[in-house]
Amino acid sequence: MFTIFDITERALNGPLCSEKDFDLKIFVPELRRVIKKYDIKYDPENPIPSDDDLADRIFKAGVELYSKVGTYCPDTERIIKFTDEEIDQALKLAPSRPVFGEGKEAKELISRKPESDIPPWCFIGAGGAAVSNMELFVSIMEAYGGFLSLANSITTPTIIEINGSLIRAGSPLEVMACIKSSALAREALRSSGRPGLPIMNSIATAVTDTAKIAGSQFGLRPSDGWLIGTSSELKVEFQRLNEIAYVSSLGGNIVAETAPILGGYCGGPEGVAVTNAAYHLNCIMTMQGSCQLSFPFHYSSNCTTTRDVLWAVSISSQAISRNSHFPFFILSYTASGPMTKMCFYEIAAAITTSVVSGASIEFGGVAKATAADFFTPMEPKFASEVAHSVVGLKRKDANVIVKRLLVKYEDQIINAPLGKKYKECWDIKAKSPLPEYIDLYEDVKKEISKCGLKFKY
Amino acid sequence: MFESLKSGIININMEETKNAVKKVIELGIDPLEAIEKGLSVGTKIIGEKFKKLEVFLPELIMAGDIFNEAMEILKPEIEAKKIKQAKKGNIVIGTVKGDIHKIGKDIVAMLLEISGYEVHNLGENISTSTFIDEAEKIGADFIGLSSLLTSTMPAQKDLIDALREKGIRSKYKVIVGGGPVTSEWTDEIGADGYAETAADAVTLIQKLH
Repeated sequence: MFTIFDITERALNGPLCSEKDFDLKIFVPELRRVIKKYDIKYDPENPIPSDDDLADRIFKAGVELYSKVGTYCPDTERIIKFTDEEIDQALKLAPSRPVFGEGKEAKELISRKPESDIPPWCFIGAGGAAVSNMELFVSIMEAYGGFLSLANSITTPTIIEINGSLIRAGSPLEVMACIKSSALAREALRSSGRPGLPIMNSIATAVTDTAKIAGSQFGLRPSDGWLIGTSSELKVEFQRLNEIAYVSSLGGNIVAETAPILGGYCGGPEGVAVTNAAYHLNCIMTMQGSCQLSFPFHYSSNCTTTRDVLWAVSISSQAISRNSHFPFFILSYTASGPMTKMCFYEIAAAITTSVVSGASIEFGGVAKATAADFFTPMEPKFASEVAHSVVGLKRKDANVIVKRLLVKYEDQIINAPLGKKYKECWDIKAKSPLPEYIDLYEDVKKEISKCGLKFKY
Repeated sequence: MFESLKSGIININMEETKNAVKKVIELGIDPLEAIEKGLSVGTKIIGEKFKKLEVFLPELIMAGDIFNEAMEILKPEIEAKKIKQAKKGNIVIGTVKGDIHKIGKDIVAMLLEISGYEVHNLGENISTSTFIDEAEKIGADFIGLSSLLTSTMPAQKDLIDALREKGIRSKYKVIVGGGPVTSEWTDEIGADGYAETAADAVTLIQKLH
């Protein structure tokens, strides 16, 4: 396997190339070539395809794409490249059962297959969404520990203020906020009775390597998930390689994050699917990951629940899970927000798609994870219930369910309702949803059951 | 001829477009008419196709490059004939300091460019002073600030504050965008407008201009 020294050496000495040429003369033409070569076509009628051959062709296309393109390092304007033999070896030697968490929460993350009977790992919480103050941050983290019984790991929110000042990336405020975030999150999980529960998105507040590494000293453990991102498409900055150098030296688990964009350099759903498969190699080799975390998303809808994105998620998840033992997550974002029926429809569609296609789940961002405080523990709880309920479901049956759900929300994505804020949905003192939200949740579960989804919880 | 100019852009064909532009000059056709009835029609169609996802960001960039190349060929002709070209407006755009997110901002830049604006895309991680220096240098009408992170949004406020301190706030319309940016934030920092999507950004600038 490669070390951070190998990757850095390639970043310093690989082929020289301007960023624009990498995007337009290398990545785009190679992607379009492999899409054509492997005859990959989007089928809007089947957001969850049951075509194993197509899935395998997408994986081959992704491997070929990564072999030709590699990962671009904007700091050196050079390409980190690998040979076919190196890629082949890396796939064989990739981690297959990383362990996350401490004590009784310690658990192996196991790769799944399409229609697998193995329950998905439920990495749930805020999806990095912004929270306006520390009181809410602590309330949310305690609620995650106490309310999310199906959680295998937690994702923390982003803090936007500290000591009354807006946090600025690269400033001491960012460092101090990251320190506080780590300390408060760990303490909140302890006081909720789940001290060993892994935090799997590092520190959502961290933008710079400095802040992430400094903040981690005050609460993160090697057994947590150290989320480190690749920039779209197939680019990695020195700041991220610095984080990899640190986490590797610590013996920590890197959760290698990727986000192919529909409408951007990937083009349409076919390109997103192939690029997601190529990212799988990037996560194993360049990012030194213990697992991949991907969220293909739509450039204008800013969510992952559109029909074309669901198709790309499904078929690329099938491609990866059928051809690799390196575990991976799909992260979902909804367009609509808390206390809306649409939000539950979107969650059910996205989670069903990911789980039956062989992925584990991260959930996630609601209301596009943009406006502060527009999320509650109810949405990740519902996501984890859907995830466990669709285990073992056939893709063709899941496809029918997702199509029925799409009919309920698809035409509202552009003007999706923002919903209500945390305090309008959640009783902080009682640590439970408000009755109005419980009623909506129960109503919508009955409604979704009529689409064919049989809830186990 | 106008059809060739238009189709050269739509088909992302540099050679076809350049040949058509050369023909325009040979035949003595009014270069502004060639732009309005040929090149601009092509870029408008590309923009519409992008909104419907019939084409994607690479096509937008390539169409923009072809349009600019064509304009370079026509420029001496326009200057020689002393034709006054009506400009829609100059825009300086970039992602603020501390933020390296690129694609959303590039889509906005390309949609503006193919809508006929002169766009100076400064890139990512751009300091307040660089935005202001460039805006002053080119006599910009607009400054567009992109930020995808809550902790880089304050840089949008920094720029507006700096314009005020320098006494040049009224020279520019400042528009802001990016994932966490909201209309409330726009009002709070005193920006002139906010767009949620790339297409909205074009509409906003047309409205403000």
